[in-house]
Amino acid sequence: MKLKKGLAFAAALMMVVSMAACGETGGTSSAPQSAAKSTASSAATSGATSSSAASASVQGLKQPIAEQPILLTSVGQSADVEMVKTLFKKINIDPTTDHLATADSIGNAKTLVLAIGGSSKGLGAAGIDADQELARVAKLVDAAKDKGLTIIAMHTGGQTRRGELSDKFIKPAFEKADYAIVVADGDKDGLMKGLAASESIPMNTVDKITDVPDILKAAFK
Amino acid sequence: MGKKNVISATICLVAALTIATVTGKNFMDVKAPDTLHPSANVTETKMLSDYFGDLKGTNSDTPIYVFKGSKPGGSMLILGGTHPNEPAGYLAAVAFLENVKVDQGTVYVIPRACNSGFTNNDAQEASPQYLHFTNKNGQERQFRYGSRAANPVDQWPDPDVYIHAGSGQQLSGSETRNLNRCYPGRPDGNLMEKTAYAIVQLIKNEGVDLTFDLHESSPEYPVNDATVAHEKCMDFAAEGMLELQMEGINMSLEPSPTNLHGLTHRELGDYTNTYPILMEAPNASQGRLRGATNEEMALTGKDKFYVSAAKLGFVYVPYDENGHPIEERVGRHLQGIIEYTKAFSSIHSDKPVSFENVPGYEEMFTDTDPSQLGGPHFGSFLN
Repeated sequence: MKLKKGLAFAAALMMVVSMAACGETGGTSSAPQSAAKSTASSAATSGATSSSAASASVQGLKQPIAEQPILLTSVGQSADVEMVKTLFKKINIDPTTDHLATADSIGNAKTLVLAIGGSSKGLGAAGIDADQELARVAKLVDAAKDKGLTIIAMHTGGQTRRGELSDKFIKPAFEKADYAIVVADGDKDGLMKGLAASESIPMNTVDKITDVPDILKAAFK
Repeated sequence: MGKKNVISATICLVAALTIATVTGKNFMDVKAPDTLHPSANVTETKMLSDYFGDLKGTNSDTPIYVFKGSKPGGSMLILGGTHPNEPAGYLAAVAFLENVKVDQGTVYVIPRACNSGFTNNDAQEASPQYLHFTNKNGQERQFRYGSRAANPVDQWPDPDVYIHAGSGQQLSGSETRNLNRCYPGRPDGNLMEKTAYAIVQLIKNEGVDLTFDLHESSPEYPVNDATVAHEKCMDFAAEGMLELQMEGINMSLEPSPTNLHGLTHRELGDYTNTYPILMEAPNASQGRLRGATNEEMALTGKDKFYVSAAKLGFVYVPYDENGHPIEERVGRHLQGIIEYTKAFSSIHSDKPVSFENVPGYEEMFTDTDPSQLGGPHFGSFLN
């Protein structure tokens, strides 16, 4: 009798445990797992760069370096490119905007502006993946360098535009840039400061995106 | 049959009938719609079935509150309760309609877009059934916390695979009850497709220029503290976003994917002339990493497991012991509506919409005594 009761109790306990583990798996349930993995790996990446960044010394821009016309493109297909376009409007500059600009898009542009920030929705909207985006940007910046364009890298999305996906696009943009503008919240770990130091380019950090127009204006002759 | 057996059987029968009566009453009670008290400036109350008669008498029929300004202008639609387990989406629409005074143009508010989803809770999620507040007059107000999708009683069975009618996109079968996978809908479809169709008819018939769809998402979901906008909205969305940043609201702007179908920010932009905007705020009570799920969690957003997850870098929004109270989440939505409407009206100056008396982020959240967050302060905006 005791054995029977024990078995019944164990069976009931197992049923309760199994039901508790049967959370609904529809909707967004697959996202959290990938999110957890991606953020964990990005944290590891950030950790590796922060020590070098801590000792990095970076100066702001001393004099204007850029000229119009401007070609503005995204690096990572986030809508931050639209934000940067709006920031230009605030200083009465109207860049040619092409989210998927290629070497052929350069035309008579004298400055290439890279709006950095990864977006899975944006990549999906463009019908490309991160590797295709990286390949496009690599060819574009190489062509811009060959043609003597000034390249400005802008990271204006703050912490929201950090993590595994966005971080993939930061280094390729900074490597070929002549100048960088960064919203401070996105560089708490010093990743971009470290890159600017290693590439020996000037970089200005602002507290808020609304501080960008003044800095941006000062970059143009 | 022995006397003991008769007594045991009677006790079991009485217990079963008692449980059936109590749970049966509860099952029926949750179908009763919440009582809403629109501001004195409401000019008309319509029903969704006015735009598609097939919804009349179904659990998908739902009120539409109309606010006409004294000056002619554009028109705007606010969809709350697309997902009834995302309370800030529903309650932001409620706070809007209970306070607003429209000066120019016309505003339509549907606080319970997926009305069917308010009549049940998601199985095995342990969600609270109701959220309670004390209003500005000291009276108790009660609002349903529902399910992400329509009540299976209203739309059943789910197919193994849900095929979106317009695109052929395939999703899991349960998504056939998700209103925000059914746009633009169809008149001969299932209940959610008919509901989506009715909303599209409203937009077309009334010439709605700007549409907001208010949501929440779990903190571990990458699209959080975000605005998702159709590509044709990007000019004013970027303007509005800058203003939100000025207000101290950290929000990202995301483009609507062209290859993800059935959602407002994609289909309403493609199939109608409206400019659709969807906003997300963080809600722990629908997340996968949460602890005990109850009304307090839904209102305060406090959860120690999300605090730990944030320390480990597993979430996409900042998360600490202060949580994300309902005032913050509703305030984000309301300030978003305010700023995007201003930016839209500035760029599309031929169809301006303006309104006043809607509490913004500061009034709802940042200027508030922290002890009043998590429900009490929100209640002070209710009639």
